[in-house]
Amino acid sequence: MRRDKFSWTRIPINRRRFLAGAALGAATATLPRIAWSAGDGVVKGRSYADWGQSDPAFSTGVTDEEVHALIYTKLIQYTPGRSWGWQLDSAASIEQTDPTHITFALKPGIGWSNGYGELNAADVKYSFERVIDPDLAAPNKPDWGTLDRVDVTGERSGVIVFKEPFQPVWNITLPYISGNIVSKKAVEEAGGRLGPDAPTVSGPYKVKEHRLKERTTLVRNPDWSGPRTDFDEIQIFPIDDENTAQIAFEAGDIDFTRVSLSSLANLKASPPAGSTVAEYPSLYYVWVGMNLDNPALNDIRVRQAVQYAIDVPAIMEAAYFGAAKPSTGIIAPGLIGHREKELVPPEGNLAKARELLDAAGASGITLTLDVLNKATNVTAAQVIQATCAQADITIDINLRESGDFWSLGDESKGDGWKSMQLILNRFSMTPDPYYATAWFTCEQVGVWNWERFCNAEFDDLHKKALGEVDTAKRAAMYERMQDLMEESGAYRFITHEAAPVIYRDTIAPALRPDGLPLYRFFKKA
Amino acid sequence: MTAAAIPPAPDGAIRGALRRLARDPLGSAGLAIVVVVVLSALLADLIVPYDPIAMNIRDRMQEPSLNHILGTDQLGRDTLSRVIMGGRIALEVALFSIGGALSVGLALGMVAGFGPRWLDNALILLFDTVRSFPTVMFALAIVALVGPSLRTIIAVIIVTSIPIYGRVVRTQTLAIRNNEYILAERAMGASMARVLAVHILPNVIGPLLILASMDIPGVIAFEAGLSFLGLGVKPPTPSWGTILADGLALVRNTPWLIVAGGIPLILTTLGFTFLGESLRDIFDPKLRKDL
Amino acid sequence: MFLYIVKRVGLGAVIIVIAIVLLYGMIHLIPGDPASIILGPRATPELRAALAAKMGLDKPFPVQIATFLVDVARGDLGTDVFSNRPVAEIVFSQLPHTLALIIAAITWAMAIGIPLGCYSALHRNTMIDKITGVISVGCITLPSFLVALYALLVFAVWLKWFPAIGAGRTGDLASQARHLVLPAFAIGLGWVGYIARLVRASMLEVLAENHVRTARAFGLPERVVIFRYVLRLAILPTVTVIGIGIGFLLSAAVFIEVVFARPGIGKLIIDSITTRNYPVVMGAVLASTVLFVVSTTLSDIVNAILDPRIRSSLR
Repeated sequence: MRRDKFSWTRIPINRRRFLAGAALGAATATLPRIAWSAGDGVVKGRSYADWGQSDPAFSTGVTDEEVHALIYTKLIQYTPGRSWGWQLDSAASIEQTDPTHITFALKPGIGWSNGYGELNAADVKYSFERVIDPDLAAPNKPDWGTLDRVDVTGERSGVIVFKEPFQPVWNITLPYISGNIVSKKAVEEAGGRLGPDAPTVSGPYKVKEHRLKERTTLVRNPDWSGPRTDFDEIQIFPIDDENTAQIAFEAGDIDFTRVSLSSLANLKASPPAGSTVAEYPSLYYVWVGMNLDNPALNDIRVRQAVQYAIDVPAIMEAAYFGAAKPSTGIIAPGLIGHREKELVPPEGNLAKARELLDAAGASGITLTLDVLNKATNVTAAQVIQATCAQADITIDINLRESGDFWSLGDESKGDGWKSMQLILNRFSMTPDPYYATAWFTCEQVGVWNWERFCNAEFDDLHKKALGEVDTAKRAAMYERMQDLMEESGAYRFITHEAAPVIYRDTIAPALRPDGLPLYRFFKKA
Repeated sequence: MTAAAIPPAPDGAIRGALRRLARDPLGSAGLAIVVVVVLSALLADLIVPYDPIAMNIRDRMQEPSLNHILGTDQLGRDTLSRVIMGGRIALEVALFSIGGALSVGLALGMVAGFGPRWLDNALILLFDTVRSFPTVMFALAIVALVGPSLRTIIAVIIVTSIPIYGRVVRTQTLAIRNNEYILAERAMGASMARVLAVHILPNVIGPLLILASMDIPGVIAFEAGLSFLGLGVKPPTPSWGTILADGLALVRNTPWLIVAGGIPLILTTLGFTFLGESLRDIFDPKLRKDL
Repeated sequence: MFLYIVKRVGLGAVIIVIAIVLLYGMIHLIPGDPASIILGPRATPELRAALAAKMGLDKPFPVQIATFLVDVARGDLGTDVFSNRPVAEIVFSQLPHTLALIIAAITWAMAIGIPLGCYSALHRNTMIDKITGVISVGCITLPSFLVALYALLVFAVWLKWFPAIGAGRTGDLASQARHLVLPAFAIGLGWVGYIARLVRASMLEVLAENHVRTARAFGLPERVVIFRYVLRLAILPTVTVIGIGIGFLLSAAVFIEVVFARPGIGKLIIDSITTRNYPVVMGAVLASTVLFVVSTTLSDIVNAILDPRIRSSLR
C-alpha cells in the first residue's frame, strides 16, 4: 500500500480569478527563468515526496520507483497508454510455460556500470529471491506472493517457479517495484542491502546528484546499450502539495505534474500557455467502513441505514469538484473484476435509511467518523455528516493526523480499535485486483481489515482467484467478493478519485493508465 | 536610569484612565475595534445571518452578494456567519488560555521569587527548557497525542505561556520580597501563603494583567496559525485559521475566502495591540522594559 | 567574567539535556508507528517489530535516552531507517536553508529597524515618529504566516516580481537570494517594528543620561555623540532580544517554510513528526534546540561583556 505522505493544502494559485478582469495577456507573460525547458534535452518532473534509497526490495513505493525505474531494468516494463499492458525490457523472451512456471531469456550485452560485469540470470535469481528471504525482512515481500525460487538454466536464461499459481505477477511484480533487477555482486559487497546511493546501474540513466528534499538529477548512463531515450537529463522535484506544484509549473520550474481536482475545471477552461491538461482515472479506492465489532453497529439494519444515508454524488460535487466519479467497489474500471453496478444506489435513499433505523430502533443514533486530516476528506466527511443528519443519524467527525489515523484499527496498538465506529478510508492500489481484496480477509482482521469483516466465502474466492488463469472466471470471482462486502453492510464505496495531469506541449509524456509517469519513455513532442 | 518608580494607578483613577484613552487616537481606535469584536462574539448567536455550519452545496463559492455579504465557501456556508463565529472562537481561546497560563504562571512565579533558592533555580530551569522548544513543534506533538481540538490548542498555549508569565512574576516578586514590610511580616511569623496572597499578589498582578492583555493578539494569531495548518479546531467549527486554509486551497475558485479570513484577523490583532499599548502607557510606562 | 561564561554555558548544556528527555518522552507517547505510516498494509507485524527494534524502541525508556545522549556526544545522530542515511546528513542538509532565512530576516529587520528607531528617538513626537510608532506596533502583532500568505499572493503570483516557491538553484547565489526575499520579508516584518521600538526606547533612555549631556555640553558634534556614546549602549537590548528571538523565528520559520515550500528544519520537523520518523525528529529538534540555546547563551555573554550591570544577575 504505497501511501501518500500527508499533504498540506495551502498555497495560492490562480491569479486569473484573483484578478477577475485583469488582462489575461499580461498575466501569461512567461518569466525569463524558463531557459531550462524541455527543448534543452532536460525534462523536469515532480514527485509528491523525496525518494529515499536505492534498494528495490525496500522501496517505499511510487517515489522510490520513479528513480529505480530509470536506473535499473526489469524483465518487462509497463507500456504507457490508456490500458494496462507490458513490453519486453531486459528479457528477450518470457513466457508462462505452465501455471507455476515462467521461463525467461535475457538479452545479451546489458551491462552494469562501474565494472560490475554483465547482467545475467544469476542477478535475476538473486534479485527476486532476496525479496522473499525472511532474513532480509523486505517490506515488498507480498509482491512476489507464492514465489518458490528462480532456477538458472543458462548464463542468460532461467525459470521462475511458484508454489501455487500467482497471476498478479504479470501486473504488479515483474513490471514494477519488485521486478527491478539488481547486481548480485554489488549488493553482496554492500552487505546484503543497498543504501541511499546505487553503486552500479544498468538502466538508461544514473543519478548525478540528489539534493535532499530539493531535487534529484539523473543523467544518461554511458554504459546503456538499449534503445536511446529522448532526454539527456531528468530532474525530479519533490513537492508534496499539489497547489504548490501547480505554481511551480506555471512558473516554469517543472514540466509535468499532477494537478488538484479543485483547479481542474479552471485549468481545462483556460490552461496556461503551451501546456495540456489530461484526465486520468486513479486506481485508489475510497470508502466508508463500519466496525462490525462495535456494539452500535452490530445490527445490520443500522449499517444499511448508514449506507443509504450517504449521498455519493453530493460528495463528488463538494469534495472532488465533480472531477471524480462514484465507485462501484474497490476495483477500478479497467481492471479485471470491476463491478458495473453497486447494490446500494450511489445517491442513497434517505427514506429507506430512516425506515431501517426505525426498524432497528436506533433512530437518532450518534456515530463517530474517523477521517484523515486532508482537505478533501474533511469536506467529504462534512457532506456525510449533513446527509446523515437528514436521516436522523448524528455524525461526530474525528479529525486524525496521519500518524494517528494509520494505527486506528490496529490491534497491536492497544484497544483503540474497539471504539472506532465509522471510518473514511482510502487505500492505494496496483493494477491487479488481488491487491484490493487482500486487505479484507479474515487474516487481516485487526491488521488492516479495520471493519473486522470475516467471510469464509470471501476468503475462499480470494485464494482461488489468485491462481485463476481464465480472465472471465477471475473477474466474476472479484465481482462476487465485492458483492459480499457490500451485503455485509459494513462498506459504502465512495470513489476511485482521479489523477489529472498537466504537461508542457514540448514533451510527450508516457503515463500509466492511472496517470503515474514512466519517465523512461517520455519523448520530445 | 530615569525610569521613575511610578506605582500602578489606584482603582479610583479608572475614569481618569478612560479619559486619557479617549484622547489617544490609536487607543480609542483599538478600543472601538475590541468592543466590536467582543460584542459580536457575545451576541454571535443573535447576529449571524445564517447558521455557520449549515451546508448548501448548490450555493458554493459564490461572490459577495446581497444574500451573502461575504460570499460562501466550498460547502455553501455563509462566510460572514463563519467569520463572526470565528471571532467568538478566537476570543474563547484567548480567554481560557491566557487565563489558565496567568493563574499557573502567577502561582509558580511567586513561589519561585519568594521561596527557597533551590526551588527558584529548579523552576527557572523548567521555564527556560520549555521556552527552548520551537512552539509549533511542541504544538504538533501535543496535537498528535491528544487529537486536534479547541481544548488542545488552549492546553498548548497555556503550557508555552506559563514560563513567560512565571518569569515576569518572579522578577517582580524578587524585587519586593526584601521590602521592609514584607520582612516584618515574616519576622512576625506570617506564613508564606499569607504573605504571597496578601502582599505580593496585589503588587504583581497589575503589570501582569497588562502584559497578558498584550498577549491576546499573539494568542489569537497562534490559534489561527494552528487551525491554518489543520491542527486546530475540529470541523465544522469555523475559525479564522480554517477559513484562511480553505481560502488558500480555493484561491483559484474564489478569492473572497482568503480575504474574509485574513482581514478580521488583522483588524482584531491590531485592535487589541493598540488598546493594550495605550493601557500600558497609561497605567505603567515602566513596563516598556519588560518586553 | 570567565566564571560567568562557564556558568552560562553549563546552564545551556543542562537545558539541552532536559529538553531532549522531555521531547523523547513526548514523542514516544504519541500513537502511530513509522512502519504503518510509510508502508501501510505492507507493514506486517514482523516488519514493524523489526523496525522498532532497529530504532531501539523496544528497549526500556531510560536506556533509550541514555543511548541517544551518548551517541550525540560522539556526533552520531542516528540513522534514518528508511533510507539508511545518517540523520546528521539529513539535518545538516536542511539546516542551512533555515539559517539563511533567519539571518536574512534579522539582517533586514536590523537594517531598517535600527535606523528607524534611531530617527524616531531623535525626532520624538514628530509626525514621522508617530507614524513609525503605529506601523511598528502593527507589524509586530501581524501573524507572520498571514503576511507570508498575502506576500506570496501579491508579489509572487499576481505581480510576479519574485519566485513563489523553493530555495532557488543551488550554487546560484543570485537565484537563492531572490528566493529569500519574500520569506525573509514575511518573518522579518514583525521584527522591524520590534527593533525600531526597542532602539527608540533605549535611545531615549540613554539620551537622557548624564554622560551624554556632558558630551553635548563639551560641544562634541551631534553625530559623534550619537554614534559613539548613545547608539552603542542603545543597541544592547537589541542583542539580547535577537538571541531570544531565534526561538520565535524558528517557530515562524515552520509556517514560512510551509507556505513558500522552502526546504528547512521547520518543514523537516513537521514531516518527520507526522511520519513518526523518530530518529529524524530527534535529530532535527536537537539541532533547533541547540541553535536556540547557543544563540541565547551567546547573546547573554555578549551582553555581559558589553554591559557590566548584567553580570551580577546570575550570582
